[in-house]
Amino acid sequence: MNTKKKNRWLSGLLTSEKYSSFTVSVLAIVLTLVTASVLLLIMGKNPARAFLCFLQGCGFAPKANYGGGSGMLSDLFDFLNYLAPMLLASLAFIVGFKAGLFNIGIAGQMLMSGFAATVIVGYNKSIPAGLAKPLVIIIGIIVGGLTGALIGYLKYKFNIHEVVSTIMVNYIISYTTGFFINNKYVDMLTRTSRVCSPASRLTWTGVQIGGVGCKVPLGIVIAIVMAFVVRFIFDKTAFGFELKAVGLNKNCAQYIGVGVGKSIVASMALSGVLAGLAGVTYYLGYSNTIIPKTLAGMGYDSIAVALLGNSSPVGSIFAAIIVTIFQQGANYMSSTIGVAKEIASLITGILLLYASCGGHMKELAAGILQKDLYREIEAKQASEGSGSGKEEKR
Amino acid sequence: MTKVFTDGLSFAIPLLIMAVGAIYSEKSGVTNLAIEGFQGFGAFIGAFIAILLMPVLGNGSQAVIYIAMAAAAVGGGIYACIHALLCIKFKANQVISGVVVNILGVALTTFFTSAANTAINGTASNKFILGVSSRFSIPGLSAIPWVGGLFKNMYPFEIIIIVLVLFFWYLMYKTRFGMHLRACGENPQAVDAAGGKVNKTRWIAVIISGALSGIGGICFAYSILANYSPSIYMGYGYLAIAAMIFGNWNIGTTALVCLIFGFAKSGGYQLCIAMGLPSNYSDLFLMLPYILTMILLIFFSKKNHPPKAAGEPWDKGKR
Repeated sequence: MNTKKKNRWLSGLLTSEKYSSFTVSVLAIVLTLVTASVLLLIMGKNPARAFLCFLQGCGFAPKANYGGGSGMLSDLFDFLNYLAPMLLASLAFIVGFKAGLFNIGIAGQMLMSGFAATVIVGYNKSIPAGLAKPLVIIIGIIVGGLTGALIGYLKYKFNIHEVVSTIMVNYIISYTTGFFINNKYVDMLTRTSRVCSPASRLTWTGVQIGGVGCKVPLGIVIAIVMAFVVRFIFDKTAFGFELKAVGLNKNCAQYIGVGVGKSIVASMALSGVLAGLAGVTYYLGYSNTIIPKTLAGMGYDSIAVALLGNSSPVGSIFAAIIVTIFQQGANYMSSTIGVAKEIASLITGILLLYASCGGHMKELAAGILQKDLYREIEAKQASEGSGSGKEEKR
Repeated sequence: MTKVFTDGLSFAIPLLIMAVGAIYSEKSGVTNLAIEGFQGFGAFIGAFIAILLMPVLGNGSQAVIYIAMAAAAVGGGIYACIHALLCIKFKANQVISGVVVNILGVALTTFFTSAANTAINGTASNKFILGVSSRFSIPGLSAIPWVGGLFKNMYPFEIIIIVLVLFFWYLMYKTRFGMHLRACGENPQAVDAAGGKVNKTRWIAVIISGALSGIGGICFAYSILANYSPSIYMGYGYLAIAAMIFGNWNIGTTALVCLIFGFAKSGGYQLCIAMGLPSNYSDLFLMLPYILTMILLIFFSKKNHPPKAAGEPWDKGKR
C-alpha cells in the first residue's frame, strides 16, 4: 500500500503542469547518477568520492592541496569560464529546437566565428582592448549568424534536412580553418594556432582576488543576459510566437499567416548568432588558441544541456551548470582517482539518453495515475453495488 | 588513374553497406540519423574482439578480420536496439533519438577503448591497432587499362559486402518480408489491417540497419584507418545518409551515388598528389566528398520522395 502511495506521489509530480518540466529533469539526473555510480562501482572506485572530486575540480568544494597562487576561487572562475560558452551553445540549440530545427552544427558555427575573430582581431596587436573586445563580440555575432542563416536558407529553399547539412558544413569548416591554421597561423611548438592578443581576449587573466590568481570571464555575463533575452523573445514577442508556431505545426502556422520560410531562416540565424557568441567566448575566452581540425565537443554537450533544461532558456542555466561540473571536473577527478576522463562525456551521454526519455516517463506516470483512478472508481462502484444489494434483500 | 578506381571502390563499398542499413530503417518508417553511432559502436565491438583474438590466432591471421566483421554486425545490431527502443517503444522524437544514439556511441566507445587498453596492456591509449586487411587482384580483369583498377588490390571484405548488398536488395524488393517492410514506411495502417505486425517489422529493420552499419564501420577501421580510435567518427555515417537521400531511398541508385562519392574522394586525393602540392593541401581535397554532398543535395533534395510514414511513431488508433 505504501509503495503504491509513493508511486502515485511521484507520478503526480511528473504529470502536474506546474512541476513536470522540473521533476522530469531531476529524475533524469538522479537516474544518471545511479547509472554512473553502478559503473564506477564495477570499476572498483568509490562513487561518492568521484562525485566529490567533480565538485572539487570546479571549485565548489576545497581540494586537498593547491598549487602556488591558485585556490578554490580560481577553480570556480575556471568553471564559469567554461560555463559561459556551454550556456550560449545550449541557447543556440534551444532557439532552433523551438522552431522545429535541430542545429547539430553548433560546433562548426563556433569554430567559424572563433576563427574569424582570432584572425581579424586577435592577431591585430594594434587594436586597444576597449575596441577589441566589442569587435570580437560583433564578429562572433555576424559570422555565426551568417553561417546559421545559410543552413536555414538551404532548408527553406532546397528542402535539405538541417541535420545532414549542418554536419557537412561542420566538416567543411573544420577542414578549411584547419588548412589555414596549418599553413598561415600555426605555432610550430604547440601545433595549434598562435595565441590571440590579451587585449582581444574576453577573459581577464591573472586577476588577483583574495590572494589567488583568477581568470575572470566576460562571457558569463553575456551568457546569462542572453538566456533572459531568449526567454523574453519567446515569451513576449510576436516573432518568438511565430517561431514556436512553426515548430509546433508548420501547416497551421502557414494558415494563420506566418511566413514559414522566413521563420526558418530567422530562427537558424538567431541560433547561429548564439553559437557564434559561444564560439568567441570559447576560442577567445576559455582558451586562446584553436586546435586545427578539431570541433569542440561542447557543440554536442549543449544538446544534452538543452534537453535536460527542457528547452527552457532559464532551465538550461541549471542544466548547463550540471553538465559543466562533469566536463570541467573530469580532469581533477581523473588525476585523483584514476578513472579515464572520458567518463565525463559518457555521463553526459547517459544524461542525454534519460532526458530524451522524458516524454515516455511522463506518459508512464500518467498511465499509472489513470489506472489508479479506474481502480478507485471500480472499487467505489463495487462497494456501492454490494450496498444496494443488501438494501434490496432487506 | 587505376589508383583512383581502386581507392574509390574501397571507400564506396563500406559506405554503401551503411547506406543500405539506413534505407532499411527509413523504408520501415523509422528516421535514422544514428548510422554514425551504429557504425562506430559496431566497429568498436569488432575491434575489441579482434584485439582479444589476435594473440590467440597470430598477428597476421586474416581469419580475425572475418570474425571481427561478424562481431561488428552483432554489436551494431545490439546497439541499434537503443534507437529502436526509443523510437518504437518510447515514441520519442526520432531525430533526437538519432542524435542521442550518436553522442552516446562516441562517449561509450571512447571511454571503453581506453578502459580496455588499460586493462589489457596497461596503457591508457584510445586506439586499438588493427593493421590493414590483405588485398588481392582478380587476374585477367585487373589487367584491363583504366577500368582494371576496379579489380586490382581489392580487399576481401568488398566481395563479402557486395554479396550482402545483393542479398538485402533481394530481401527488400523480391520477398514478402520486404514488401511488408516497405509498406510499414508508407502506410502502416494498411499493414496492420492486413494482419502484419508494424512494430515488429520496424524493430527488425532497425536492427538490420545497425548490423549493416557495424560491418561498414569495421571495414573502414581495417582499410583507411588501420586502427580503431575515436577518429572513426569522421562523418561517414552522415555521408551514407546523404547518399541515401540523393539515391532517393533506392538501393540501386544509392549504390551509384556511393561510387560517385568514392571516386570524388580518391580522385581529389590523387589530383593533389599529381599537382605536386605539399601534404598540407590534402585537407582541402579531403573536403571534396562533403562539398559534393552539399551540391548534390541542393539539386536533388526537392524532387525526392522519402517514405511517407518515416519519422512518425505508429499509433494504432490513428487514421
